[in-house]
Amino acid sequence: MSDLAVKVKNMTKVFSKGLKKSDYVVAVDNLSFEIKPGEVYGLIGPNGSGKSTTMKVVLGLMSPTKGDVKVFGYDSGDIRARNEIGFLPENPYFYKHLTGKETLKFYGKLCGFRGRELKDRIAELLELVDLESAANRRLGGYSKGMLQRIGLAQALIQRPRLVILDEPTAGVDPLGSRQIRDLILKLKDDGITVFLCSHLLEQVQEVCDQVGIIFEGRMRREGPLEELIQIEEQTAMTFSGAKPELLAKVRELIEADAGATIVEEGHPKTTLERLFVSLSHATATEEKEDEK
Amino acid sequence: MSQTTPSAFEPATKTVSPLSLRRVMVIASSSVTQLVRMKTFYFLLAFAAIIVVLMSLNPPTTPAGVLSTIKRISFGTMDVFAWLFAIVSTALLIPKDIEDRTLYTILSKPVRRIEYLIGKLLGVLWVIAVSLLVMYGVCALALWSRETLYIAEELEAMNADARYSAENVGAQIALIEQQGLRPELGIAVLASFLKAAVVASVTIFLSTFASSSLFSIIISVLVFIIGHAHTMATSFWLYQTDNSLFVQLLLKVVKIFIPNFQLYSFSHGIIQGEAVAYSLVWQMTGLTGVYLVVFLFLSLLVFIDKEF
Repeated sequence: MSDLAVKVKNMTKVFSKGLKKSDYVVAVDNLSFEIKPGEVYGLIGPNGSGKSTTMKVVLGLMSPTKGDVKVFGYDSGDIRARNEIGFLPENPYFYKHLTGKETLKFYGKLCGFRGRELKDRIAELLELVDLESAANRRLGGYSKGMLQRIGLAQALIQRPRLVILDEPTAGVDPLGSRQIRDLILKLKDDGITVFLCSHLLEQVQEVCDQVGIIFEGRMRREGPLEELIQIEEQTAMTFSGAKPELLAKVRELIEADAGATIVEEGHPKTTLERLFVSLSHATATEEKEDEK
Repeated sequence: MSQTTPSAFEPATKTVSPLSLRRVMVIASSSVTQLVRMKTFYFLLAFAAIIVVLMSLNPPTTPAGVLSTIKRISFGTMDVFAWLFAIVSTALLIPKDIEDRTLYTILSKPVRRIEYLIGKLLGVLWVIAVSLLVMYGVCALALWSRETLYIAEELEAMNADARYSAENVGAQIALIEQQGLRPELGIAVLASFLKAAVVASVTIFLSTFASSSLFSIIISVLVFIIGHAHTMATSFWLYQTDNSLFVQLLLKVVKIFIPNFQLYSFSHGIIQGEAVAYSLVWQMTGLTGVYLVVFLFLSLLVFIDKEF
């Protein structure tokens, strides 16, 4: 058994555009990266950068033109590799004529679950994604956020060791987005490896341990998130309750040093997402208290 | 989002069986649900309406003639339903899964592509079989009720008339019974089913590389029509030597690659009241099996390396 969850080595994927041999597009060019078990890996890049192609190769939906792709030591085209993977697509692609419960039953059965085990697993996952009340509604009537959540439940149905998430919060409102983020962190806490493709950089920054930046099919930067985003020659300090006199003294000390300058000063800001979520929670709490 | 026990995430390393009949049946039953919820069974209501109309007609003909008309129209409708449904539903299911990208989520589970193909085909055949059985049930009920009525009427009328001997009465009753409900009619239904199975397997093969459902439907209908000219093509191939190279090639293509749907027309004789050799039925079932295996194999050759 491999000690890596995903190993992509010198992977190239070429698509032919027409009948001529010279008519082709290199979607992914000599890409290599590794994901360790239990890690949250974010692959970021603009549209058309090769993220989806890479993901499809890892999923076994495509085969690489060159190179090797392994999932827990199995070739990505091997059916045993797919038993280890849970996949949440960007736009949840499920049968709209099935209810939430039927959808989980269908995917659970495909993964070999039966009887009481399947029933319990479905109940467990519906509770996890907070869709118990909508379990018997057809997916055709689900909102985007609900579809994304049932998608996540189906991705987890066979207890995969690797979860691949393609733009998991695309089109989802901030609250739904926060729920999915929390779930990713929960997966991480429970030792599940997460491979996340996204162009929502803030989200990637919040949950990922490792990040790869892909552009025009090539890996441009890769490494631990903290290393990638830190500005080596700058230092940030955040004070709480500091009086103006103290701040003046700090400024004086810095100005006295020939090599140091203050680049930026001001009040730290929250994000619009955090503001929105905190306001929503506050409103919900007020409503509950009013009901009492 | 609610809290959950850690067991929700506990990895489970399950073994994956090779070709699994269970997974095939899961996909087949899902296809049945899909077709049922697409309200395809509404066709049965149309069939029931045809039977009701046929029953209410009172044409100036003999009882045997009426029974023959009911049989011809209802079995003709059943046959058209079976092959048309086989083509349209098969042509819709796979391209729809590709277009809606449902196939992504199915194939990213431990499902082999051959299991998916067989499952889809079985789902379509399942719906056709049930529909044919229901239609046959309705038709059989209509035939039986008319046959019973006619026999009773004929017996009453002929017995009351001294001109008719017992032999005359027996012959007349036999004539009505020949056009009435007979066990052999079940074989005619089987013939429709077998023909539909073959045309579904052809359509599934076309669906694996077709760019749209419409293309699969049109080509399948063409194959179906050409498949009825098989005998003609064979005789041309065997006995005509002065054909152009193009015609000869075309005839060879028809002979080799297009199933012979004419073979299934033995059901016409059954519907007209003729007897059928059971050995022929076994032969046809066997041949259908061969067609299914060949077209599924060709489908797999295309589908196995298809990228989504």
